[in-house]
Amino acid sequence: MTNLIRRDLIIQKSQLYLFIPCILFFIFAGTHLPAFFIFVFAGFFIPINAYSYDEKAETNILLNSLPYTRTQIIASRYIGAIFYMAVSIGIAIVLFSLFNRAFTWADIGIGIGITLTLFAIAFPLFYLLKPGHIGTAIVIGFVLVVVLSQVTMTFLEEHLTSIVQFLSSASTPALYISSAGIIIMLYTASWLFSQMIYQRKAF
Amino acid sequence: MQIIISNSSKEPIYEQILKQIQTAILSGELAEGDALPSIRQLAKDLKISVITTKRAYEELEKSGFIYSIVGKGSFVAEQNLDVIREKKLRVIEEQLSAVISNSKEIGLPYEELQELLKLLYEE
Amino acid sequence: MENVIELHDVSKSLKAFTIDHMDLQIKQGYVTGFIGANGAGKSTTMKLIMNLLQPDNGEVSVFGLDYANHEKEIKDRIGFVYDSNIFYESLNLKDISRIVAPAYKHWNQKQFKAYVNQFELPLNKPMKKFSKGMQMKASITIALSHDAELIVMDEPTAGLDPTSRRELLDIFQEVMTDGKRTILFSTHITSDLDRIADYIVLIDEGEILFDKPVYELQEQYAVVKGSTELLDADTEAYFIKIERSPNGFQALTKKVATVKEVFGKHVVIEEASLEEIMFYMKGADHPYD
Repeated sequence: MTNLIRRDLIIQKSQLYLFIPCILFFIFAGTHLPAFFIFVFAGFFIPINAYSYDEKAETNILLNSLPYTRTQIIASRYIGAIFYMAVSIGIAIVLFSLFNRAFTWADIGIGIGITLTLFAIAFPLFYLLKPGHIGTAIVIGFVLVVVLSQVTMTFLEEHLTSIVQFLSSASTPALYISSAGIIIMLYTASWLFSQMIYQRKAF
Repeated sequence: MQIIISNSSKEPIYEQILKQIQTAILSGELAEGDALPSIRQLAKDLKISVITTKRAYEELEKSGFIYSIVGKGSFVAEQNLDVIREKKLRVIEEQLSAVISNSKEIGLPYEELQELLKLLYEE
Repeated sequence: MENVIELHDVSKSLKAFTIDHMDLQIKQGYVTGFIGANGAGKSTTMKLIMNLLQPDNGEVSVFGLDYANHEKEIKDRIGFVYDSNIFYESLNLKDISRIVAPAYKHWNQKQFKAYVNQFELPLNKPMKKFSKGMQMKASITIALSHDAELIVMDEPTAGLDPTSRRELLDIFQEVMTDGKRTILFSTHITSDLDRIADYIVLIDEGEILFDKPVYELQEQYAVVKGSTELLDADTEAYFIKIERSPNGFQALTKKVATVKEVFGKHVVIEEASLEEIMFYMKGADHPYD
């Protein structure tokens, strides 16, 4: 299993050199961006890039011909994503501190939450799609996110006061714990769902 | 012992191996107790399949030319040369009888047949 | 254990193709050549053996074990070669070996290096810059470097020049000398098999037409050539398939003795090559006679 997770680093060795400059770019150029956004980017980068290598049918033939079970292959994807996200966000935190950019624990928490939610949606979707369509899926996904965020914005503008009222009525720890719970459930459900799809796949 | 296989020969490859080993034993090139190359080694050396070599060895074993010990390999068996000679003589007799009856069919006289045989023998 | 691979009553329906109640046994310690035209079902069968495809019905067992409970154990003992490059194209052979090696219990780095040297494969060049032949050699190097007992190869000699093909066949024979290993390899270049195959399995339209030792094929089948006047409803029954031309007929027969007796010197009877057997058996009316 650790071999499978380590594999993610070997396959994208050359792109890893881009990782730190990218974060630095965001730290300096993206001053108008909220800190949690940069944490999302950092956490998302390595696992998704690794995944893009695995979309090819050939890679699946390779992995499934090696002594691994399909359950392990999926597990390594989900565990590896958490692991690399944690390391990447760790690196981002160090860079933030080095260059004196302000951030809060809430930024980290929100960053992790959003990243995990994105993984939970993206992974099973990619396993469902035919190989070669992931690029298209990302583009469509991006457009959807833009449209949705605009819809959400208008929604928020209309109902902002009532939402703020609701949120402030709940205690902060309760809010955090319940969001964490929802995200963990979502991630687990996504994992099980991916495993179900992958188990039946033909290569 | 050298074995030479012809791929274009009409004779099946296992028979070619069989005959050449037989000849080596009968001529004394291979003595009783001598080890033969292992089936797989021989197959590799001759660039032929294992099963073909195996078949040749099996036939040799059946006709008593060699014996095999599991895990050790195949060895030349004790040859009763008198018996083999006897057998060969009988074959020669049969073949000569056929020659004679064929000669008589076309009225070939004994002297000419003898001449022909002499010519072929010395060739 | 006599059979390394056993397919029992296996059925699989794919979009354009079906395998219906297939039975197949691959014997331990021998080279089995798997032949058939393109699209006959070779790759599908190989995929079923590798558990890349799961049968709709029936059982696949390898080393006497089933995939449901022993997948890792089975694959640890198999070396595989596919007809296309399945390794990450942007990686070099060194990195690929770093990914593959830890997956196996018995990875043999010395052996790996030896084959890399023998095949003159560069370790620092990305796979996508390898020629087709080099990619194939790289696959074979990996397949042979972890003491696999079973080596499954789908068209391993495709895309190789004659020199490399001979070199590979030599290596396969070398690998077979200890008697513990088994090779199953599919090909449509039948001349590769003339030299090293012990058993031949012929597949056509998803159906196994025969599974025999090579010498039996040479003994049982013959190509018969003669004048078309010799053919009538009775005599046609001696042949598996007949090809007619204005100058006579050519046909494959399994009734060599009968043909000799009936036609005598009016026909020419020749040993059938694997290629001829494969050609005549494809879509034959009576493949089993």
